[in-house]
Formats: sequence, structure tokens, C-alpha cells
Amino acid sequence: MEHGETDGISTLLAAAQRPSAAWPKAYPEIKFFGFFCSYWPEELALSVGWEPLRLLPPLQPGMAARLPAYTCAVGRGCLAQAENGAYRQLAGVGFAHTCDTMQSLFGVWRSLFAGGEALPGDESTFMVVPPANLLAIGAESYYRAELELLWHRLMARAGQKPEEEALRGAIRLANRIRRQVEELERRRAWLPSDLVAALLRAGQLMPRANYDQQLAQALKQLEDYPSSLAGRVPLVLSGSVLEGDGIYRLIEDLGGRVVADDTCTGTRHYLGLVDEEEEPLLALARRHLSRPACPCRHQGLPARLDHLKGLLRQREARGVLLVLRKYCEPHAWDAVPLRDGLRDAGVPALILELDGTAPGEQERTRLQAFLEGLAGGS
Amino acid sequence: MARKDYIPLKSSGPLQRLMKRYYLLTRYHHLWGRPLRRPLAWITSGAPVEILQALGIDSLYPENYGAIYGARRKGGALALAAETKGFSPDLCSYARANLGAIYHPDREPLGGLPRPDLLVISSNICGTVLKWYEALARHYGVPLLIVDTPFVAADDGVSRQHVVAYVRGQLRQLIADLTKITGRPLPMTELERRIKWSNEAVQLWEEIRRLGRNRPAPLNVPDLFIQMAPIVVLRGTPQAVAYYRQLYAEAKERVRQGLGAVPGEKYRLLWDNIAIWHHLYRFFNLFSRRGAAFVVDTYTAGWAGTMAPGDPLESLARTYTEVFLNQSFEFRVRQMIQLIREYKVDGFVMHSNRSCKPYSLIQEEMRRRVMAETGVPGLIVEADMTDERAYAEEPIKNRVEAFLESLEGGGD
Repeated sequence: MEHGETDGISTLLAAAQRPSAAWPKAYPEIKFFGFFCSYWPEELALSVGWEPLRLLPPLQPGMAARLPAYTCAVGRGCLAQAENGAYRQLAGVGFAHTCDTMQSLFGVWRSLFAGGEALPGDESTFMVVPPANLLAIGAESYYRAELELLWHRLMARAGQKPEEEALRGAIRLANRIRRQVEELERRRAWLPSDLVAALLRAGQLMPRANYDQQLAQALKQLEDYPSSLAGRVPLVLSGSVLEGDGIYRLIEDLGGRVVADDTCTGTRHYLGLVDEEEEPLLALARRHLSRPACPCRHQGLPARLDHLKGLLRQREARGVLLVLRKYCEPHAWDAVPLRDGLRDAGVPALILELDGTAPGEQERTRLQAFLEGLAGGS
Repeated sequence: MARKDYIPLKSSGPLQRLMKRYYLLTRYHHLWGRPLRRPLAWITSGAPVEILQALGIDSLYPENYGAIYGARRKGGALALAAETKGFSPDLCSYARANLGAIYHPDREPLGGLPRPDLLVISSNICGTVLKWYEALARHYGVPLLIVDTPFVAADDGVSRQHVVAYVRGQLRQLIADLTKITGRPLPMTELERRIKWSNEAVQLWEEIRRLGRNRPAPLNVPDLFIQMAPIVVLRGTPQAVAYYRQLYAEAKERVRQGLGAVPGEKYRLLWDNIAIWHHLYRFFNLFSRRGAAFVVDTYTAGWAGTMAPGDPLESLARTYTEVFLNQSFEFRVRQMIQLIREYKVDGFVMHSNRSCKPYSLIQEEMRRRVMAETGVPGLIVEADMTDERAYAEEPIKNRVEAFLESLEGGGD
């Protein structure tokens, strides 16, 4: 279905609903390479000929035998699937060192895929360590060297030699997608929040060249959508990984609209182009340092607050919804100063903690009250 | 009193005096530090303190205060004070308790924390410290200086050259920033002197720990938890060196006399993770009263590595990047297996510490691997280092008793 069908929207929606673990089975002819976080440089896997597949937990995550109950749903859910053998067909898995959970999961995952044996460990599990302090002196040259090492390891694993032209081609493809996402963002306010979320999620799951084509089709189809907010309350949504559309749908049901999406699986994943004229690895490092950061990175104290305030102004939103996933520490740390900073600036903000991906009745009531307050204040 | 299962150390008196002096000087730093133009930095346990000392900057370790709050059973109340400001109860309890102590100085058991002039962190122990100190920097409006020490993913535990160059460059920048703050240049001879004292203290600390290889072991791990305070907060000072010489002599004398910390040592155990500060002796006594001694642990080993050779900055860069909490899973599995073999351990106990994810999330897989490799049984107990609200006494007691029974039954 994904190959050749011209109805971009329905193709992308179907792709977005397909769980990560189902992709390798559905398309055994494609070599998928799993990754966890937006900081993983997709272009490197693409240049090897592997299709980057974001590993998202299932909507009903199981309990991984190897992790304690106080682990976030991403760690727990994905490892439970791996323990059940769901990811044996992947060409490899890439971790970007972002939080303590990703650091730990890397070790456990690698041990698991080595069959619980002692060293030498599994050679298909990779870790790249981006700078945590994006303002640190030497961060750029450090990260370029780190990316070069990673690229060579990936190539060695694939039995290939590093080809700069292959990497440039991957960068061009990833940039084309990012430009199309920019186009989608320009129309976001008129589109259902859950539709946009699904379209963006599809781009982290399906083969990228196909996604590029289907998104172009979808954008054409979306030209016919009415250009109106239709009385909806415009919101900025910020948070970590959202593997389903539940919260977006709830916002729509309650009369809201996500006009800017600062989540790890939403727009933030796509922000920032790679300079195609520059030496490729340096250009990738520069994108990492300059794109809007997640809470795991330090870009100066006011950076994230300023980013959210900027989104609020540009998109004429009335409030900010800060979605916390249970046990996601970096976002939990930022939620308090962001809420307080926004309120100090006169911007209504609500912190909503989700245990799973689907909000329950309590979350519904709180969100409803928040949106009613925003609507009443118009 | 639970302490009857231990033979108390004579060095405990001098330790108390040494630490009391440190806390008193720190508490009243504003009275003497400012006139002497000695800024006060709040720093993480993995920050390169030797540079600060050489520049005449005094240090306070909020993690160390977190342990004290736990030991005094104030951790839960202080953490709650941070939670009422909106901080999640799932965040690190050292951090929550520290923020609670700032919001409610009246509840701080040492009489209130002195205000920092600056904050210095290294990212080598966890991701939490970055966020915690960002919160502190916002609260106090003081400079936050960060040494980004990339995670060592390689199994050999050695940082690659580009990593060392990156950290070294940041240390140079740190010196430049601190020089601006103090208005004083860095005297290299003083830095070398501080590194030398650090080295002497960590070497002594390692020698003290290694005495645990004797049967019976002269020290039990809760002793090490109490005795580690100077290696954390007075590293790089002659006082720490002098104190550990004294402790070494006492422990060595116990070995000579064949005196064990746990009378009638029957089982030798290894401990993994930070202490359960609020139930330190109460928890460890569950073991010692059955003749089970903790002869070694992975946590206090974190302060036992000597400085890497080379010029001072390269040495500091390597040493602080390669601390054990910044090391890969495979490295830590190897380390534990090595300790089990060196110390002839019969079993190991892992504290699944809700507050320390980099330590705890890998433990179940580590337990499986270590048991498969050594045949030594391992137990996991869930608790929290400082927040006593997360301690379920009866279930823990039952699990410990079952574990000890299995040891007595020869591992059935």
C-alpha cells in the first residue's frame, strides 16, 4: 500500500498507526535501523542504505522484565517488545545519549542482543554522545569527531566504505522532508491536531523516500482544507515522546487546536536544516547545536522558555499545555520553571501528567477547565 | 540499639570533629569567606574541585547534605516542600530535598544552607545534576559553570582522544571563568599540590577498602558509607589525607588482631548503589545479626580511582570523564565480577534506588549477567536513598530473610 498509492493522506495515516515493531515484519525486503530519539542522526543510517525506524512503545506497553517499574513508557515498552523478539530483524539500533534512561537502556539492550553473554557484546547496537551543553567550547569539533566515528562504525557493520556522496544524498532527502514539514506547519492551524501529529509520526516510521513523496501528495490534498480555526482555542503543546494521537484528539474534542507542537515526536523532531554546502559531518554537528533543544540539553537558562514564548507569539496561541510522561525526568524538571515563567509573562500554562499515552477522565477534566478558561478569556 | 552488632571504630570521634568543623565553616561562610574574598561554590560530587581549591574557592556539596537529610529522616519532609512547588515526586530525592531546604530554611537540619556565589557541575554522574543546577541557577541568579563529560560508551572504559580534548578545553574555559570571578590567576603549583592531596586521599581510601579482602573484614559497608564523607567533601586537602591515614592504621590493626566488623562473620556480601540513608544501620543489621558482612561495595569505589597520569588538565579531564557512573554497562558488569572474585563474596545485594536511574535501571540485567558468570546469588531491594517515604520495611525484611536463608541453604 505504501508503495505507489497516490492518496498521500490515507497512506501516511495508515503508516502512523502501524506500530514500530510491525514494520520489519511487514516489509522484510527493507533493512530497517531502529532509533530512539530525535538526536539520533538519521542521515548516517540512510547513507548506509538502512531505513531509520523510530522505536516507539506500543499504545499498551508491557512490563520489561529487565527494567524497574519506575522506568518511563518508552524504555519499558520498547524493551518489553525487544525481550519478546520483536526487533531481531533490525539491521541495528542507535541510541543518542540524552537522558539517564537512554544511557541505561543502551546497556541493557546491548546485553540482551548479545544473548546475555559476556564480552564481546552485541555489535549492532550503537551509541552516539552529543554534547549535553550546546554552548560548551569545543562542542562543535567534538561532535563532528563523534559523528565521524559513528559513521565509520555503521559503515563497517554494513560492510561498506564511507562515501561522502551517499551522505550528501541522505542529507538532501532529510532536508526535503524538513522543508515539506515547514510547509505543513504553515497550514497547521487549519488542520485537525491529531491529523498533523499522525502525519509527522509517519515520517519517523516509514521509508523516507516514500514519505517524502507521500507527504508532497498529502500537502496537495490539504490545499482544499478550509482556512479557518473555526472558533477553536489555539494552543502550544510541549512535551516528550507521544506515540499515539490520544492527547491531540482530546484537545480537538474539547474545542482546542495545537497550533505549535514542541514535542520530541512532533515538529521539534524536524526543526533545523542541515547546510548542504558544508562538509557533511560538520553540517550535521551544527544542526544539532543550533536546533531548538529538548530539556536534556543545555542551551542557556532561558532558551526553552524563549522558544515557547516565540511559538506562542508567532502562532497566536492563547496558552501552553506542558505534557509530562510519567518518569520522564528531563521534562519533569523543565515543566515547573516553564509553567512559572509563562505565567509570569501572563501566558496561561497547564502541566498535564500522562501515565500512558491516552489521557484518562481526570486529565480530560483538567484540560477541559483549562481550555474553557482560555476560551472565556478571549 | 541496633549498633550492638558492630564494633565501633575509634576513628569515628575524629571523623565527627572533622566533619563538624567543615559544616560549621560552611554554614558561616558568609561571615569569613567574603572578607577573605573566597567565593562559595555549590558543586556536584563529580566536579573537578581541585581547580576551585587552587583558586581559593570553597565548596559545598548538596549531594552530601542530601545524605545527611536522609540519615536524619528529614528527606521526606524536605522533598515534600519541593513537591508542593510542583516538582515531581519521581525526581531525585537529593535534588528535591535540597530544593525543599532552600524553600524552607527553617526545616533544614543544619540551620540553613549558605547562599552560593556560583555553581559548578560536571555531567559525569547523571543527567539530573544539569537540571537540578539549572533550577538552582534560576533561584539564586548566580553563574552556572558546566563541564560536559561525555558518557564513555566503549567497553574498555577509556575516553577517546576527541573526548579528552573536548573536556580539557572546557577545563581551560572553567579556569578562565573562575579567574574572572575571583580576580586571581590560577597558580599551577597550587593546582598540582591539590591534585597530589587528592591522589593521596583516594589511594588511602582504596587501601582501606581493600582491607575488606581479609577474612574477617575489618570494616562493614555501612562503616564505609559513614567514613566516605571526607573523600567527597575534603578531597584535595591535607586534612582528608591525615584522617584516612588514621583510619587505615585502625583498620589495619583490626586485621592484625583478626577482628571483624561483624562478629562471627559467616557470609561475605557485596553492596551495589548508594546507601539507604534513612535506614542505614537498621537495614544492614538485618544482615549483620545473621553474621553477614558487606565486605565491599560499588558506590564507595567511585572515589577510589587515582588521577590519570599526564599534565594536570589532561589528567583531570580523563579522571573526571571516566568515573564509574559515566561508564558503560559492560564496564560495570566486569567491575562487579572482579570485586566478587577479589573479595571472595558469597552474595550481592542491589539497592534499586528510585532516585538514581543511571545506577538502578541496569541492575536487573547486571544481576542476571553476574549470577550467570560467577554463580553468586544476587538480591534486589527497592527503596530510595533519602526519601524515607519510599521504604517498605516489612516486604524488605521478608526478602532479606529469604535471601539469607538461601545463602544458609547453600544457594538453593
